[in-house]
Amino acid sequence: MENNAIIHLEKTNIFHEKNLVLSDVEFSIKRGEFAYLIGKTGSGKTSLLRTLYADMDMKEAHGNVVDFDLNKIRNKKIPYLRRKLGIVFQDFQLLTDRTVNDNLLFVMKATGWKDKKKIKTRIETVLESVGMGTKGYRMPHELSGGEQQRAAIARALVNEPEIILADEPTGNLDPETSEGIMRLLFEISKNGTAVLMATHNHPLIQKFPARILKCEEGKLVEVNSQPSPAIV
Amino acid sequence: MAVAEDKISRKKARSSYFSTIVSISLVLFMLGLVALIVLNAKKLSDYAKENIMVSIFLKDNVKPVEVIKMQKTLDASAFVKSTQYIDKEEAKRIYEEAIGNDFEILGYSPLPASIDIHLYAEYAHPDSIAWIEKELRANPKVKEVDLDYKKNLIVKVHKNTEKIGVVLLGFSGLLFIIAIALINNSIRLTIYSKRFLIRSMQLVGATQGFIRRPFVWVGTLHGLFGALIAIALLVATIYLMQEQIPEFRNMLDLELFAALFVIVIALGVLISWICTFFAVRKYLKIKTDQLYY
Repeated sequence: MENNAIIHLEKTNIFHEKNLVLSDVEFSIKRGEFAYLIGKTGSGKTSLLRTLYADMDMKEAHGNVVDFDLNKIRNKKIPYLRRKLGIVFQDFQLLTDRTVNDNLLFVMKATGWKDKKKIKTRIETVLESVGMGTKGYRMPHELSGGEQQRAAIARALVNEPEIILADEPTGNLDPETSEGIMRLLFEISKNGTAVLMATHNHPLIQKFPARILKCEEGKLVEVNSQPSPAIV
Repeated sequence: MAVAEDKISRKKARSSYFSTIVSISLVLFMLGLVALIVLNAKKLSDYAKENIMVSIFLKDNVKPVEVIKMQKTLDASAFVKSTQYIDKEEAKRIYEEAIGNDFEILGYSPLPASIDIHLYAEYAHPDSIAWIEKELRANPKVKEVDLDYKKNLIVKVHKNTEKIGVVLLGFSGLLFIIAIALINNSIRLTIYSKRFLIRSMQLVGATQGFIRRPFVWVGTLHGLFGALIAIALLVATIYLMQEQIPEFRNMLDLELFAALFVIVIALGVLISWICTFFAVRKYLKIKTDQLYY
């Protein structure tokens, strides 16, 4: 395993309810790298991401994610793995019973933040960075899809993770907002946070070129070896 | 508009809590009511048993001093709750009052002096009656012990209270199981409705304990509120009963009520706590794909 790899998988088979979705997966992602994960719907992008945050059957997963051995990780340790990842879920996974501020607050309290002043400043900073500075007091159901998406991204950023796993983060956004989110993600990766982003949005990939991994016919293949602009 | 929507969603959340608390309190109220009946049934049967009177008739030549001494000995013995001495004059007066006749024809009263004994409930048992009778008859001053038909009464009262006790115990056991099942059910429903919330919390890296704590705390609090409402209902019931049935007032026992209320609170808190714990645990352990059905 390369020293500066933040994700490294090898000989990994990914199952979804006993159906083999991806076989013999092998790839690495370095610190600060930006990579796209593309492929048709149902090709296994989400399953691959779910494997990375241990929400799948891990019996045939081999490799490391932020220094956790996926094959040997125990249920008790899974929360600590997820804390090191910033995950933007396809379906947002916002806590629907509380405001955006309280959503961020929950994550921070769960991960051990104590100082109220620091928490408040941090929430303001991340919400500002995704353009949600004035909407923190809203409940998730009062927000549009794009706003919920941005709240979810803000939550993923709050603990300054080592890598962001984003499952179609621009799926619900208009082109203009999508570009805003992309710029934000590239900005983040320039600051040393790796990003692995599943997407269908080809125009966006052309506009923001980076390394591309493709799920195709049960395999994960490297499409080009274009280096991530974050590293250049 | 946002504020109005917010209010609606809060109201919804509150009404689901409300129904949980109401179902907990009603179940506990029923349980408390049965406990109240069971506890008072014991008192009622004791009351019936202690009402059975045993009379011993004394020989005519026994002097009053000796009678008083005998009464004192009886009062001191373990099985006697109270005694009452009825001398010849008193016996005559009671007889005349009841029958309306007097003993003028005879020229004297044939009624002997007697001591009426009320036994403690524990001794109003067919087995103990036998040796109590033996002991009483052994006294040379005693002419007769009036027990024959009362023995039957004691046996009957004893058998009936035993039967009622078994039925009540079985009934309250059944109700206890129903109480647990109902509370468990309503708590599981509440948690079930939050299963995706629990999953989201897990996905953002919260530990199981951190997720469980607020759920269990709120669940336990609901149990406490439910128990307090149940107690309020019980107090109201007791109050109404003693308004309606004056005899009930004699049986009021504050210590007993206090114990009952403590038990109701303990049950409410304990059952809700355990049920919430396991309901949340279920959704913490379940796989994501199984959440949908």
